[in-house]
Amino acid sequence: MRNAGFILLALLALLPVRAEDSVSWEITPAVTGPGQPFRLQVRIESDVILGPADRVGKEIKPPRGMALRFSGQIFRSGTTEATLNFSGVSPETEGAYVIPSFNIRFPAKMIRVPEITLNVSGATGFRKDGQARAELELPDRTFYVGERIPGAILLRGSEQEFVSGSFGLECEAEGFSFQLLSDRAQPLDNGQGLLTAFELTPIRTGSSELALNGIMLIQVGVTSAFSSPSRDRPFTFRRRINVEHVPEAGRPANWNGAIGKFLTDTVQLSNLSPEVGEPIRLRAILAGEGNLERIIPPEIIGGENWDIIPATERRRRAEDQRIFAYTLVPRLPGKLLTPEIRLATFDPETRSFNQVVFAPQEVTVTGTAPAKVDLVKVDPGAGANGATTKALAGLAPPQPNLRTALSSPVASIQPLAASKSFWATNVALFTLLSLGLGVVMIMGYLSAHPEILIHYHARRSCHRAVRQARQAAQTQDSAAFARAIVAGLRIGSGALLQAKAQALTYRDILRVLPDAPLALLETLFQTAEGDKFAPRRLDTLLAEPSLALALLAQLEAKL
Amino acid sequence: MKPKFLSLVFLLLSVLTVVAEPTAGEIAYAQGDYASAVEHWQEQGNRDGLTAPLLSALGNAEWKLGRKGRAVICWERALLLDPRDTVAIAGLRHAQTAGGIERPTASWSENYSAFLRADTWLILAGVSFWGMALCVALPLFSPKNKGAWYQRGLVTFATLLALSLPGLWGSHTSAQRAVVRRADVALRLTPTAQGEPVSGLGEGDIVRTERGFNGHTRVQTAEGKTGWVRSGEVEAIWGGGLPANLDQKAAP
Repeated sequence: MRNAGFILLALLALLPVRAEDSVSWEITPAVTGPGQPFRLQVRIESDVILGPADRVGKEIKPPRGMALRFSGQIFRSGTTEATLNFSGVSPETEGAYVIPSFNIRFPAKMIRVPEITLNVSGATGFRKDGQARAELELPDRTFYVGERIPGAILLRGSEQEFVSGSFGLECEAEGFSFQLLSDRAQPLDNGQGLLTAFELTPIRTGSSELALNGIMLIQVGVTSAFSSPSRDRPFTFRRRINVEHVPEAGRPANWNGAIGKFLTDTVQLSNLSPEVGEPIRLRAILAGEGNLERIIPPEIIGGENWDIIPATERRRRAEDQRIFAYTLVPRLPGKLLTPEIRLATFDPETRSFNQVVFAPQEVTVTGTAPAKVDLVKVDPGAGANGATTKALAGLAPPQPNLRTALSSPVASIQPLAASKSFWATNVALFTLLSLGLGVVMIMGYLSAHPEILIHYHARRSCHRAVRQARQAAQTQDSAAFARAIVAGLRIGSGALLQAKAQALTYRDILRVLPDAPLALLETLFQTAEGDKFAPRRLDTLLAEPSLALALLAQLEAKL
Repeated sequence: MKPKFLSLVFLLLSVLTVVAEPTAGEIAYAQGDYASAVEHWQEQGNRDGLTAPLLSALGNAEWKLGRKGRAVICWERALLLDPRDTVAIAGLRHAQTAGGIERPTASWSENYSAFLRADTWLILAGVSFWGMALCVALPLFSPKNKGAWYQRGLVTFATLLALSLPGLWGSHTSAQRAVVRRADVALRLTPTAQGEPVSGLGEGDIVRTERGFNGHTRVQTAEGKTGWVRSGEVEAIWGGGLPANLDQKAAP
């Protein structure tokens, strides 16, 4: 029984022990040749049911020159094992390449795959002849900002491996805009591969790295019971690209941003025999390879014979041409030549500027010349008031010593808003103004309501009377006590009745204090003023001084 | 009559522009010696003070030397002194179209504020405010003097103040801009040296600046992307004279 208990305890002690995850991998072939496709299989055994992996491959950062993509997972539900397959292409140079550690996220947990080393050796005897492969076609030269760079990815197949498609093309490059020319890859001329054309446009100078990644689908000619007839194979390209501005040396004044190889196609006129003043349309068609859509239409000068109204026309992307359209109005009759259209272009391959010239066309203008030829000024960019704004091109000539009386030189460009003295002065003035306004408003209010001050003074007089009455009570001076109380009652009642205090009698006090005892009031008034009108009464005022003081308190409460 | 006429003539003459004889800097610029032109004009600016034409000329010479950041700083500061400086306007337009410089699109209030200098807007708003305050306060101080003049003054000053408020706001937002002074500056996600780069900025690009933290400044690019750059990689447009010399080490 004791042994059974030990065994049970030992089993219970083992329960919390967690089995470690086991991660193993296999690269096939173990040593690859340069550029040889390989397969990486990662096997995971865990203590929990793993399920399908999520977002595999997002964290994998293959070393430079290596293409590596997640191919799929051998998934069996309810098991603690998982097998994940990756396909890749080894780099072109020999060496040991380390795939950094990465995480695989399962629904139950996240498992970390340690570093994996791939050995690339030229001694394997691998030959790429029969392998489907990807090639990048991109000019190897310095590029220029605003240039349109045509590029293509050629997915070349072979008799053993036929390229049937591609997907997931990504471009990682800063300072470039990347655009695919078509939604689908086009078949190669020999039928053994696909071509994906794209355009790059540098938008800033400097040296940056262009990275292109993608996956091609391959159909294997020889199939067996143990091999799949189709597979995917990633490809990656990295290219260091230098971008510069079009050189300023030798740049013609009429260069409007055209970079590439261009030639004049045709010049079309809507009417070869117009009348004087009749507008005709001139279309100059520029063709070639380059940044056609970025060219600013060249300006042409009409001179004495023509009025020129520039017009714009959008270029359709499917066409490798650009149309510059102008409206010409003949001013004089006779055989006239349309103005010459000159366009400066920059050839990035020869690094030289060229001039493209649309030759003048002969037009027979009928009609008679007006006595006074008014120039036609229809500028789409003109303001509503007729003022035209001339577009500035290039740098304007400097005038460093231009002086105006309204602008004085400064040592430093500091905003007035940053000046503390400015704001301090404003705050001080605002405070003074606010105080002055406050005083004025208070005084105005008091002058509109004089009873406020009258009541205030009356309250203070009542306070004073109470104080004098108490002092008189302490000295047992009943006459002084009565005088103080009567004076307080008169002043308070006078404020409330808006009457002269000295003229009030105890009857008037009763109008203000109707609950006041009449006998007490009579006694107070007789005692206070008895010397004047009658012999002093024997009273008992000082026996209960609080009654008289209470009258003042009631009066003060009403004020 | 005669004194009035003479004073009018004097006023017109004072407004008229005065062009001096070509200086050594102008001669050097005309001969293509832009480095000497920059030296002359910098010396002139330190000696006589900065003006909008001098700064814009300096910007032209810096641009010719390929120093985009310094050129853009000069042009922008020239516009602060004179919003209608044609040389600076042409330089910035050229930098944007041919030079690839990115400049944030100006809001309507910034376009409005470009009509006058920022200080002029502030002075106008201050005068309008105090004029309005006096028109309100003076009748209170002397109630008998309640003529119609103060009502007209109140309406006039209130209108001026209302017109100057968008200019003040535009000047305020315009002041919060800076020029990238280094080439290939990384816009980082976090204000740390190891912050993940989210985009790149070129020398001369103009960004809107926000708060600073940990030696970095939060900026918004012309494309609307926000991130952090090192504070030493950008130079504020307001609050300086000649462009800062980034190669010179700071005093200990």
